[in-house]
Amino acid sequence: MLGQQILSGLATGSLYALTAIAVVVVFRNTRTINLAQGDFAMVGAFLGIIFLKEWGMNYFAMLALVVLCCMALGGFVERVVMRPVAESDWLTLFTTTIGVYYILHGMAGWIWGRDTKAFPVSFEATPVEVFGALISKGHLYNMAIALLIGGVLWTFFTKTKQGIAMRAVTDDPETAYLMGIPVKFIVTLTWVMAGAIAGFIGVLMAPIIYVSPEMMDEILIKGYVAAVFGGLYSFRGAVIGALMIGVAENLAGGYLGSHYKTSVAFVMIVVLLAFRPQGLVGIQERREI
Amino acid sequence: MSINNNQNTDIQANQNEETRARISTVKNLKRRFVRNDVLAMVLLFGLMLIAPLFPSVKGWMLSQASLVIIYIIAALGVMVLVGFTGLVSVGHGGFLAIGAYTSALLTLHLGVDLVVGIIAALLMSGLIGAGLALIFLRLSGAFMAIGTLGFAFFVGTILNNIPFFQGRDGILLDANFVLGFEIYDHGFYLVSVVCLILVTLFVYMLVNSGTGRAFMALRDAEKAAMASGVNRLKFRTLAFSISAAITGIAGALNAHVVNYVSAEVFADIWYSVDILMAVVVGGSVAILGPFVGGFFVVMMPFYFEQLADFSFIMKGVVLILVLRFAPAGVAELILRPLKNARRTILRNVGGSMVETKEPKDD
Amino acid sequence: MTDHLRCEGITVKFGGVVACDNISLNVETGKIVGLIGPNGAGKTTLFNVLTRFQPYVAGSVFHNGNNVDELRPHDMVHRGLARTFQNINLFREQTTLRNIMTGGHSLIGNPIKAMCWTPDARKREREIEERAIEIAEILNLSGELENEVGNLPYGYQKRVELGRALASKPSLLLLDEPVAGCNDDETAELQEIIHTVNKKMGVSVLLVEHDMKMVMKVCDYLFVINFGSNLAEGTPEDIRQNPEVIKAYLGEEEHT
Repeated sequence: MLGQQILSGLATGSLYALTAIAVVVVFRNTRTINLAQGDFAMVGAFLGIIFLKEWGMNYFAMLALVVLCCMALGGFVERVVMRPVAESDWLTLFTTTIGVYYILHGMAGWIWGRDTKAFPVSFEATPVEVFGALISKGHLYNMAIALLIGGVLWTFFTKTKQGIAMRAVTDDPETAYLMGIPVKFIVTLTWVMAGAIAGFIGVLMAPIIYVSPEMMDEILIKGYVAAVFGGLYSFRGAVIGALMIGVAENLAGGYLGSHYKTSVAFVMIVVLLAFRPQGLVGIQERREI
Repeated sequence: MSINNNQNTDIQANQNEETRARISTVKNLKRRFVRNDVLAMVLLFGLMLIAPLFPSVKGWMLSQASLVIIYIIAALGVMVLVGFTGLVSVGHGGFLAIGAYTSALLTLHLGVDLVVGIIAALLMSGLIGAGLALIFLRLSGAFMAIGTLGFAFFVGTILNNIPFFQGRDGILLDANFVLGFEIYDHGFYLVSVVCLILVTLFVYMLVNSGTGRAFMALRDAEKAAMASGVNRLKFRTLAFSISAAITGIAGALNAHVVNYVSAEVFADIWYSVDILMAVVVGGSVAILGPFVGGFFVVMMPFYFEQLADFSFIMKGVVLILVLRFAPAGVAELILRPLKNARRTILRNVGGSMVETKEPKDD
Repeated sequence: MTDHLRCEGITVKFGGVVACDNISLNVETGKIVGLIGPNGAGKTTLFNVLTRFQPYVAGSVFHNGNNVDELRPHDMVHRGLARTFQNINLFREQTTLRNIMTGGHSLIGNPIKAMCWTPDARKREREIEERAIEIAEILNLSGELENEVGNLPYGYQKRVELGRALASKPSLLLLDEPVAGCNDDETAELQEIIHTVNKKMGVSVLLVEHDMKMVMKVCDYLFVINFGSNLAEGTPEDIRQNPEVIKAYLGEEEHT
């Protein structure tokens, strides 16, 4: 029973982890807390419905096209909305993404309606046995995809030239610029990446939570809390935080009742701050009090 | 020699006298500026108070106006934090909920007067705000924003799931009593206006006091503030608590304007985001800011009543445009020329010897 | 004479680097004491220790004979220690008057009463304002009271910072390189001001400074540190003659 809970916690946690990674990517490179991150995924989920139902695409073609569309959306938002205010303080950047959130939210509601829709691909609930615990095929599939994306990102940041350039931009944008790294391009690339991750999240989440303009709100907040766990700079910290939240939530849901599931993330952050204010992996920007 | 010396002292005495005269002129000028500001506020509030007397003003208009006022009060609370202390909270919807439920539960179970309810809401929010500040002040800037967002979310869940709060069904209140009299649309509107006047007056006093100066010192240069003797933790906690208490008042009014509270409403964290947005759009460093912002946030959906989604889009567009073209807020757009003119006058009268460039618009 | 501020055996480490190694010094009440030493000797670090901005691994600081190891920077201000910074630290968007008034923060009393405008708090507020104006007069800043500090030239800003420190009614003023970057006129003016503050207002002064001429002229007593340790102490005359100091520091500058 316990192993069961932990395993399905890890499955949900891996989806939070993807959101958290997207949050961290954007924050590291642009110092922006992107509140619209969830809405990129939401748009992706709606597009997924269209591609499957109206265009009759198969699942993988749909996934690829959704990811492409979300990448385009991310890039578009950066070029049109974020770039003009790129030099401002973090509050301005943050509130600008709130603006993007409102617009995407409103558009989705306007075009596709406010009511919840089922995703044409249903969640594969057939149980599979892993290490003695049962887990549904769908969850296993989600975890695999999350792992795959995590691996690709890791390789990108540590092995490729672009990824290393991106890290340089994070550490010291001015020096990076002087060294001839195309900072503006890197920033656009960042948002495109955030879009790509959102595309995956949208398609993966859609069968589990159904599709509506509000579908991502809760997951987004958990992704954020997970990112704060890791200090907003560390991918590793964000992933660990996300998995912990996923597991803790599932355990709370199993032992305390499902109502309390959603407040676990907050309680965890309070506990973390009380006992380890520097964050799981060390928050660089702690305020001395 | 001695004659020379005397002359020197005379010149110095003359200079001193001149300086004194200039300083007192500056003081008088500043006093006059304050008088003008106060006059403008008295006019605005006077107009708000007598508005119900006009025959063309209907009951529903007053209810809508009460809603605007509630948002202005909440935004004033957030302004104390964001504008004057430099801390950002995205979780003030949580305090709105705490205020609303404190007052509603007291009314439901003990049948207390609205005035008592409001005061209780204020105290409860202030206390919880102080406690939270002690946790969240460890986080800086962006981190604190996310932490507070989590708080708002948490409050929503608690209200929804603990039976005592009747989250799923909501709490229905029968009537509002103020000092023993039952009030309706008109009365409630007047109560809201009175609350707004008191809160505005308080914020004005706060900003123009040593305490407000300490807040702004922490906002502008933390090290210099410490070197001036400002206790960071104490004053940031105080700011957070004051801010939460003011928002708590708005929460209490919010519960009674419709005589119904439901966790459904408060569980929506975008409630919190809306308050922050009111402050950002209106402007966070002048008291006029929340007035403009509150009006905008409440009236925008009202105008597009049939098109809720369209109002969302408009909100987003306006927010982005304001941040792009008037990052200090709409109120600053109006007040900036006035402020600059006053500053120039004071500088010149004060006898500034330094060539100054015009302050940058940022 | 009693010691106003005294530190014993202060040791500060930044990672593996020892910035201060067992440094002791004392400031006598009513005196102007100078702290000098070559670049990187640990003067500013020691200064931050004395004002409690910097934690230390060993040693103690005493203020009027009381141990203040556990106090925080703002507590020191309330005890009558005021400081300035090497790189000016001011509220740039606020006016000179407000900057100086903020310096008088320790005089506002209860913050709750202050924000509720109780008659007592208003009286204090008026006193803080009066005092700020008086200080501005002493510092020749009366004309700039309503000017934003960010607009003022460097020399003015140095004086505003001094004003901010004076506003708290300090009994000991700690100045970190008060004349660094100032021209000769400005230096002379600040020197005059420091004298006035010490003699007329009875404020003890500890200053870190590079300008030897100014240090020799102003200070009653000097401490020299080098490589994070005490090197010498004495009156300016003694120090001028001390061969070790000459070797370490003054050689090329003063004794040509």
